[in-house]
Amino acid sequence: MFPRSRILLNGLALLCLSALADAKSGSISTEELASATVLDSLSIPTPGESFTALSKSGKIDWSSRFRPPIATNYSSRAQMAINLGGLIADGYIAVEARDSQQVKNIGKDIVSLAKPLGVQQEILNRGKSLTDFASEGKWDALKEELEATQNEAKAAMAENKDTGLVLLVTLGGWLRGTEALTGYLSEHYSAEGARLLRQPGIIHFFRERLETLPEKMREDSSVKKIRAKMDEIESALTFPRDSVLQAESVKALNQLVSDLLKQVSRKDSK
Amino acid sequence: MRAFLILSLCVCITAALLTAGESDEETYARKTALDLAGAFSNDGFKLRDGHWSGTLEPGTSKVIQVNLFAGNSYWFSLGSNAKAKRLAMNVYDETGQAIAVDLHEERHRIAAGFTPGISGPCYIRIEAIEGQPTAFCLIYSYK
Repeated sequence: MFPRSRILLNGLALLCLSALADAKSGSISTEELASATVLDSLSIPTPGESFTALSKSGKIDWSSRFRPPIATNYSSRAQMAINLGGLIADGYIAVEARDSQQVKNIGKDIVSLAKPLGVQQEILNRGKSLTDFASEGKWDALKEELEATQNEAKAAMAENKDTGLVLLVTLGGWLRGTEALTGYLSEHYSAEGARLLRQPGIIHFFRERLETLPEKMREDSSVKKIRAKMDEIESALTFPRDSVLQAESVKALNQLVSDLLKQVSRKDSK
Repeated sequence: MRAFLILSLCVCITAALLTAGESDEETYARKTALDLAGAFSNDGFKLRDGHWSGTLEPGTSKVIQVNLFAGNSYWFSLGSNAKAKRLAMNVYDETGQAIAVDLHEERHRIAAGFTPGISGPCYIRIEAIEGQPTAFCLIYSYK
């Protein structure tokens, strides 16, 4: 009886000490971490945030990260949404490059792609601001305008009960942002830059949400292509806090994301 | 220019909130958060367009995951209304350890600023320490 009570008392004391330690060190329980809210609109960064961080490592020729114009007449709505997100990320790249003509060209493509998605009016309202800010070289304002454009399109999609498309817009933007980031780091590797590629929370979010899409959307050819590569992307972006991705791994990741984006931006990819 | 943009954003957001049927309390909490974040915009911080809102009960906390980049500086701004007598905001890394932050605290609004040393998920815990149940709105800015 006595030993059992002692064990119980010791256990209780340990629990109290652990609670005290938590309070003193200001830690948070694993249960709270696991049950934390994760929101598309706040938990997932814009491409502009990673570009801002990379720009701190020196002067970057962002125009070298431009890509040839993509199609804007897809037949699948899922493919349209992924590429709309990609185009918005292209907008951020053009803003970093301070290239007003490129911003205007991308703005036109965004409007073309938005029309069949049923969000053209929302985008049109913003499109003029994008053009005006680009003409006036208001680059900081343009970054905020790009995110606002994306959010208005997403809000319209949500209103139309197209919540799956909202996720795909975010995913397309993140993929294009990752391609630009890894593309630059493949050519100008630095450990400081490579540490920006540690993104376990983001990839986990996409993996989890992709599996909850309506079956028709999950089985869309473009979405299937992305889902098939998520394991590889996740293993590249999930590395310990005290390490960085090595140059060869960055190149491999860039190749992977680049090939994937080419496939999903091809008209009627099968 | 920045002040104009923030003002325009406030007007647009207020209009959007009204059309979306949000309560006066929620609108006020959002405005309070935006007012607070406006001060950081003057210092070159770019405001994210997204937000997290809801209701905070006194003595309870809520946690949101955000994914941040090493080297960027961040300010998280929490707005509520007069029903909140005192708010708290803490930031934790993905192992659950507290991150040291600069706190800017007023009665029913609070902001936490920091520069993460490691890219990845961070957790923002918000809490109403005293007062009545209150609407809240959390936004963030970065540079």
